[in-house]
Amino acid sequence: MKQHFYSYWTVYLLMFLGNLSFAQKNTFTGIVTDGETKEPLIGVTILVKGTITGTATEYDGSYEIQANSGDTLQFSYTGFQPLSFPLGVSLVNDVNLDTDSEILDEVVVIGYGTIRKSDLTGSVSSVKSEDLIKVPASNAVQALQGKVAGLQILSTSGNPGADPVVRLRGVTTLNNNNPIAVIDGVITDVGAISLLNPNDIASMEVLKDASASAIYGSRGAAGVIIVTTKKGVSGENRISVSIERSVESVANRIDVMTGREFATYLNVITPGTYNNLDVLPETDWQDLVFQENATITNANLSISGGSEKATYYFGLGYFGQEGVLPKSGLDRLTGKLNTGYNLSKNIKVGLDFSVQLSEKDNAPGVINTSLQAWPIDTPFQADGETFAEVNGGNPLAAIEFTNSTTKRLRSLGNLYASINFLKVFTFKSSVQFDYDEGKSRNFSPKFFVGPLQQNEMNDLSYNIGTGTSVIYENTLSYNQDLGKHGISALVGYSAQDARNEFLNGRTEGLLRESELFRYLNSGQEEFERVDNNFGRSTLISYLGRVNYNFDSRYLFTASLRRDGSSKFGPENKYGNFPSAALGWNVHNEGFFAKGGILNRLKVRGSWGIIGNEKIDGNAQYALIVPGTDAVFGEDEGQVPGATFQGGGNPLLKWEETRQINIGVDLGLLEDKLIIEADYYVKKTDDILVPLEPIGYTGIGSFRSIFYNAANVENKGFEWNVSYRNRVGEISYRVGFLGTTVQNKVTDIGQGLGADSLLVGGNLGNGQRVSQTTVGQPIGYFFGYEVEGVFQTPEELASNASFFGQEVGDLRYRDINNDGVITTGDRTIIGSSIPDFIYGFNIEIGYKSFTLSADFQGQMGNEIYNGKQAVRSTTLNYEDKYNNFWNGPGTSNTTPRPSNTGGNFLPSEYYIEDGSFFRLRTLTLNYSLPSNLTQKLKINNSNIYVRATNLFTATDYTGYSPEIGAGSAVDGVIDRGVYPVTRAFTVGLNANF
Amino acid sequence: MKNTLPIIAFLSILFFAASCSDDFLEQPPRSALTVGSFPATPDDAFLAINAAYNINRTWQIATGGYPILDFMADDLVKGSNPGDGIDVAVYQNFTHTPTEISAERWYKTVYEGIRRANLVITVVPDIEMDNVLRDRYVAEARFLRAYHYSSLVRGYGAVPKVTQIDPPLTLGRTEVQEILDEIVYPDLEFAISILPERSEYAPEDLGRATKGAARGILARTKLFYGEFQDVEALTQDIIESNEYDLVPDFSEIFPEANEFNQESIFEISARVGEFNDGGNQYGNTVGVRGSPNKGWGFGRPAYSWIIEMEDQEDPRLEPSILRLGEVIDGITIAGDASTPDETIIDGEIVEIEVYIQKTWMPGADGLTSWGHNRRIIRYADILLMHAEALNENGKTPEALTFLNSIRARARGDNSGVLPDITVTGKAAVRDAILEERKYELAFENRRFWDLVRTGKAAEVLGPFGFIAGKNELLPIPQSEIDVSQGRITQNPGY
Repeated sequence: MKQHFYSYWTVYLLMFLGNLSFAQKNTFTGIVTDGETKEPLIGVTILVKGTITGTATEYDGSYEIQANSGDTLQFSYTGFQPLSFPLGVSLVNDVNLDTDSEILDEVVVIGYGTIRKSDLTGSVSSVKSEDLIKVPASNAVQALQGKVAGLQILSTSGNPGADPVVRLRGVTTLNNNNPIAVIDGVITDVGAISLLNPNDIASMEVLKDASASAIYGSRGAAGVIIVTTKKGVSGENRISVSIERSVESVANRIDVMTGREFATYLNVITPGTYNNLDVLPETDWQDLVFQENATITNANLSISGGSEKATYYFGLGYFGQEGVLPKSGLDRLTGKLNTGYNLSKNIKVGLDFSVQLSEKDNAPGVINTSLQAWPIDTPFQADGETFAEVNGGNPLAAIEFTNSTTKRLRSLGNLYASINFLKVFTFKSSVQFDYDEGKSRNFSPKFFVGPLQQNEMNDLSYNIGTGTSVIYENTLSYNQDLGKHGISALVGYSAQDARNEFLNGRTEGLLRESELFRYLNSGQEEFERVDNNFGRSTLISYLGRVNYNFDSRYLFTASLRRDGSSKFGPENKYGNFPSAALGWNVHNEGFFAKGGILNRLKVRGSWGIIGNEKIDGNAQYALIVPGTDAVFGEDEGQVPGATFQGGGNPLLKWEETRQINIGVDLGLLEDKLIIEADYYVKKTDDILVPLEPIGYTGIGSFRSIFYNAANVENKGFEWNVSYRNRVGEISYRVGFLGTTVQNKVTDIGQGLGADSLLVGGNLGNGQRVSQTTVGQPIGYFFGYEVEGVFQTPEELASNASFFGQEVGDLRYRDINNDGVITTGDRTIIGSSIPDFIYGFNIEIGYKSFTLSADFQGQMGNEIYNGKQAVRSTTLNYEDKYNNFWNGPGTSNTTPRPSNTGGNFLPSEYYIEDGSFFRLRTLTLNYSLPSNLTQKLKINNSNIYVRATNLFTATDYTGYSPEIGAGSAVDGVIDRGVYPVTRAFTVGLNANF
Repeated sequence: MKNTLPIIAFLSILFFAASCSDDFLEQPPRSALTVGSFPATPDDAFLAINAAYNINRTWQIATGGYPILDFMADDLVKGSNPGDGIDVAVYQNFTHTPTEISAERWYKTVYEGIRRANLVITVVPDIEMDNVLRDRYVAEARFLRAYHYSSLVRGYGAVPKVTQIDPPLTLGRTEVQEILDEIVYPDLEFAISILPERSEYAPEDLGRATKGAARGILARTKLFYGEFQDVEALTQDIIESNEYDLVPDFSEIFPEANEFNQESIFEISARVGEFNDGGNQYGNTVGVRGSPNKGWGFGRPAYSWIIEMEDQEDPRLEPSILRLGEVIDGITIAGDASTPDETIIDGEIVEIEVYIQKTWMPGADGLTSWGHNRRIIRYADILLMHAEALNENGKTPEALTFLNSIRARARGDNSGVLPDITVTGKAAVRDAILEERKYELAFENRRFWDLVRTGKAAEVLGPFGFIAGKNELLPIPQSEIDVSQGRITQNPGY
């Protein structure tokens, strides 16, 4: 396995540890280069023969190692022939490594095992430690951005600790589209990756096609991200430290009306409201609410090493972020401990353990308020300190009276033992656990700002949620090379028990409001309320896989997993998930011309079925729940009731995704140019859809039952092209990756007695702006087309309108040509699924400097501007309304001024183009010269500066076009998102 | 290798211990029962019948949340500000279509109520418990089921007939007469035979279905279908039960302090608070908009209705409405800034900002409005129904007595207004009773049905857009037709 051990230091620890000395030996240095291209080689493993002393080369190919003259250095690097180099008296020794004939024979991690990349038949993208570290990111998932074709990572929020939204190969299901994560063998959710310090990660593999992910059976349909953390290596005792510090600010402001513009606008609605515009206050609420230059601190320490018997890797990290809103922020501590112990030559036991403790101050919900509060109102009364009543809500008061904190403890662990016998068999048994505990406390004091912003009695809620998952897993694997036949096989069994429990308490009338009293006991008994709920689901799995290759030319993989889940009724408990794949290494054929432009060609094809069971464990049952109380009697007593809550479907079964993948891997110009391209078709059948059954069943209005009732097809072409070369002292690499997405619903609810239409996108005001129907992409926007603005009474009279429309209102298109505008005239007005997602990255190295830029973009998607469309009362407007219709011949796009009404119906007017092109990160890295590091007695060190979200090209008018959708059937609606921030970072790494 | 054996032994034990049975894959829900295991005990029966009443407090049960039937009648208009709730404005001018959400909400929620009632009706008889109480629970459930079905057939015509908790998905529509003959009438007759009179209930049970309530709903239903002999007999029974009487002063019927007064035949009890705390959002939906912020302000007394009341100096006018500037329970009604105080078209006032007083609750806080008890049927309605039945049954002079008792109560001390009706012709008395209902029962969700059942809807509501032969019924929700793949058909004209 290709291993690199960059490690990082802080200045502080450096000064402390710099005084430590390891051995009284000579320090040998040098540069390792590719014998052919003369490029420096990064991460070459170097070991002093016969000792446990080792190191690895840096970015510039440099190394340094403590040894004695006469020792032999062993250089090893994937894709190159190993080299033994005896040390003489010279302290500087540059070496060249020659390429191995088995080029690119790195090992990639696949489910329940590893495989040589050349033997891989599935579509798997592997991102190694050095790629994660070269462009440092605070969240490991974020680091995958722009590195894996078909993987879309959206930073949807600048809220401290917010997890990015991850989508692989489009929207597969109408339910939960998150890929699963497998962290050191523990199957968990993708959010758990944030537990890890990116510096502790050895590799991340993204399993994209069915051949790769079917081994995860029912959980693999939305893709799998395997994360492998670093282990200690015998003989290499290392300490590394990193620290980085960032400042961030809101990247852009939303243009809303100024006070003067707003008053002018209102004066049109109600003439004479504001007679003297010059005396009105001007308040920029966004300026008052956002904090500039909030800081982020990220510091990590790792210590690793081991002996022949045992290895360890210990990591400790701290992450602290101030939010761009007052009273928001995150403090997080992470710990990592990976240990392995060889009981004997054939028996190994170990524990991989991660833990995270965090405390988050939740941002007060003032993002929308600061856009909607009247700019002619002021935050304080004349005394300058008492909050003033503000139309639309006083955001500063909301901040003052919000006290919300969430504490979280999460840990993942994998305790394993493995036995190797008869040389070719390995039996591995493990117990894995995933524990997640969240405690949130919300307190609101008694206050009065105005009739609509007040709290008559202070209140407190305290909620505890815990989730526990335990997996017990046994696998037996077999690996053997018999001449030209390479065979590996795996069988396994696993059982999972997942439980979650909530305990929520609430009270009012606390004795005092200070922090000392923010406990439920301080409240008045009559207001106390407690809720408690528990859920459990179980899963049993049997799995098997065979890999076979003949002469490294013809490759074959087949796998089968059988999963049984408690979420389904007796008739459909079990599902079978098979896959098969073929690969052909054309370049290993005799007829393949060596020395041509094309040096490597591999063709892959796979088929498989993967499942999805991410639904509520109780969906099969029609539940009877308490809480449906009646009120009776002169004293209006509440008497308890219990009855149906919705309905259940005992016939639920597994959702199945059939995926076909055809791929080609090309290496040209001696792998300077690498092209990986895949075409895939994913057909998901029996999608678990919440449908409103026929009304007379009495499920209730707009209540749903899960049915296996929809089919969705995703297809697309994805590629990753990279070119690397060197011109003089400048080395460079450019990469371009892209995915086309075509999403189509092929069936919904036919013949089930359930609705053939899914309605989503509830704006919260009774309007629903999204629909899902057959033949269209999931969750398209549904509303009126806009033809313009009624300019004259004649135009209004001679065209279709709805009751009450006036001149100056939006002119909707009469789709059904019946002469009036009714709900029957609504049509498809947009889709939030992009046509094309792409990434573009450049890396330029010159001497000790590396400059890298990472671009990201998508095209062809729309966003519904819900924050502007939802009006219950008069609120401030976005500045495009300044161009309002004001008489015949004026605006034909912006309607006459209005508070509420027909111009706020779901229509094209609120649809905006969500395409964007963003410079995600720009990083300049500098490796300290070895003469300096030698003086400081450290192996190597680098300093970098990074800008995040430096610029974004988009027509979208909101804070950010990257908006996460709650559910695919809702489409992407901007209900007022936490702004994405622009950050500037300085960081330093050092390692021994 | 000496370590190997114990390790293998340990792993083997673990392996076989975990190779567990199918029980492992059975995880029933926690803290909830499933159908089939409920109701099983006398306590369960109590919970199940209470839950059947609970539906009457939901927002949607009141014609889908908004008083759309009243928007369609001539005593209320949509209300709120002009731009608000334009999805329910369509009912006011009869441009509503089968995809309108309110009519769909109502339809589905009524069926939810029917399902809850069916749970009691089909399962509770098998529970071993006190027979009297068990029969009463079943009778209460049958009362509620009949109440729901009578709403359904009046609103939508022929509808699927569901008498079990998990109906087949293949049902079509059942003719109105069959629903009446096989569900509504037998259910209510059963309820009349079993249920206690109001006075026989303990004070803490006020609000449960009574013999009088069952007679009242049956009379209302029979009246709608013109079965006047039955109406006369049923209302006669209520009168002779001596359980009820008119509240002497009209203005004392609706205040919160007088909930469950002597005139109340059936009302939906609610507490101040959100739904889970016993509230009913209906009072909030029609509550004063703006200042005090009591609600959304939907359902505004029609200006034409106010003018008629003013012209006849009807003392019931002011206790029925809240005007701007009026002070009630110490609170001044200032109204809503985004609502015009007067709406003027072509120089004529067509609407003024007023609110319904019949649903008023004391207090400035919006949540207070949730405590309003909806009066579903009151004794004044019984007397007017009795008068109408007598008149239709050829007993016009007796009819006038009952009609005039309502006017006398309305008149109070104002001897100069609302003189007794003295006309004698059957048709004239019929018209007089209809008029009286318009004033007495205004905003109580009756007017639209009165116009439909008397055949006057086209004449009175035609100017607003009512189309005879179509708008007597609401459209069947489009989703119901789509999901049934056309087995459930649409009403004529939609």
